[in-house]
Amino acid sequence: MAGRKRKRDVGVLNPNLTPLLDMVLQLITFFMMLIHFGAKLEGSAKGIRLPVAPAALPGRDLAFDRLAVGLDVRGQLLIDDQPLDAEATRSWWANQARLRRAGLETLDASASVGVGEELPTLVILRADKDVSFGAVRGVLMEAQGRGFSQFSLVLLRRERR
Amino acid sequence: MSVGLNLPSSIPTPGDGDPFRPRPLHDPETPPASGQAEAPRRRSFRPEPADEVFIPVAPMLDMAFQLLAFFIMTFKPPTAEMHVDLYLPVAAVAMPKQADGRAQADSARIESELENDLLIRAEADELGDLKSLRLSEVSIPDADALGDRLRRYARTLGNQTLRVRIAADDRLRYEPVARVIAACSAAGVSSIRFAPPGTGTAGPSAEAPKAGGSP
Repeated sequence: MAGRKRKRDVGVLNPNLTPLLDMVLQLITFFMMLIHFGAKLEGSAKGIRLPVAPAALPGRDLAFDRLAVGLDVRGQLLIDDQPLDAEATRSWWANQARLRRAGLETLDASASVGVGEELPTLVILRADKDVSFGAVRGVLMEAQGRGFSQFSLVLLRRERR
Repeated sequence: MSVGLNLPSSIPTPGDGDPFRPRPLHDPETPPASGQAEAPRRRSFRPEPADEVFIPVAPMLDMAFQLLAFFIMTFKPPTAEMHVDLYLPVAAVAMPKQADGRAQADSARIESELENDLLIRAEADELGDLKSLRLSEVSIPDADALGDRLRRYARTLGNQTLRVRIAADDRLRYEPVARVIAACSAAGVSSIRFAPPGTGTAGPSAEAPKAGGSP
């Protein structure tokens, strides 16, 4: 009798793990399908608050050759999170255009782009929502004057929480 | 987890005689536990001990939780960022006339192309907010209304290209202008140009960027 009693005390706990496992595997599937590696946005900077434009529609696929620049609230161009002054900005654009022309010529001499012709580079502009439009226009004009013609303005579809 | 064949004890086995022989439910003469004749029948009824099939779920669960933790930690919510494409061609007839290689636009050509453009005028107040928005001479309350109106224009024009020119004050904040550009792009405007501030109905100067919106 005593032995039976002891055996009952050491009873095996057998929880049903199947629903738990089902749930866990479902969650894994959900997160696996939503994962995208390398999600760092090109040219994104913490200081830039993008404008919200609910009417914005997705643009075309981003081009192979891209140049991402930021424009902070003071109207300074941000390259790799470093603000450039007006003179440095001008020389930076000139340098980028020169490098791209040289690169295109190296790749294919027949497809080279001369000075004054349009470069195939897509310029992605992330400008702060409170920067003056004059500064944005100035950046576009400066880049356009150097031969860049493809631009992509980054906007938010809804307020970021 | 146990898998076993639990036969009900009432199922007779072969050799038990006629299974369909009617028997009284309660036989007072033969008590169930102590009868001598019942003993062999009891043994044959005893079911086989159930086979215990044990699947170790714990390691699987450990692995599943590890994977779950990895995916949760690497999860990033989808971004709400949109791109509005602009095509700002370097003037087609531009030639490098200056020493530093900057293109110069042909003002006569630009002005001849501007005749059919719709002018969107955005004025700023002292704080840089949008004070008034006008499409040609019509006052428009906001960018949404502008989009609706441009959509109607585009329907009216049919296959013809709808081109607009945005003349916004330089001190205007970028956000209202971005909304106007996004509304134009979403309404199907095929060409967007920027005019310098202070532009009325007259054409812009030669250095105005010329923009073609996304197709």
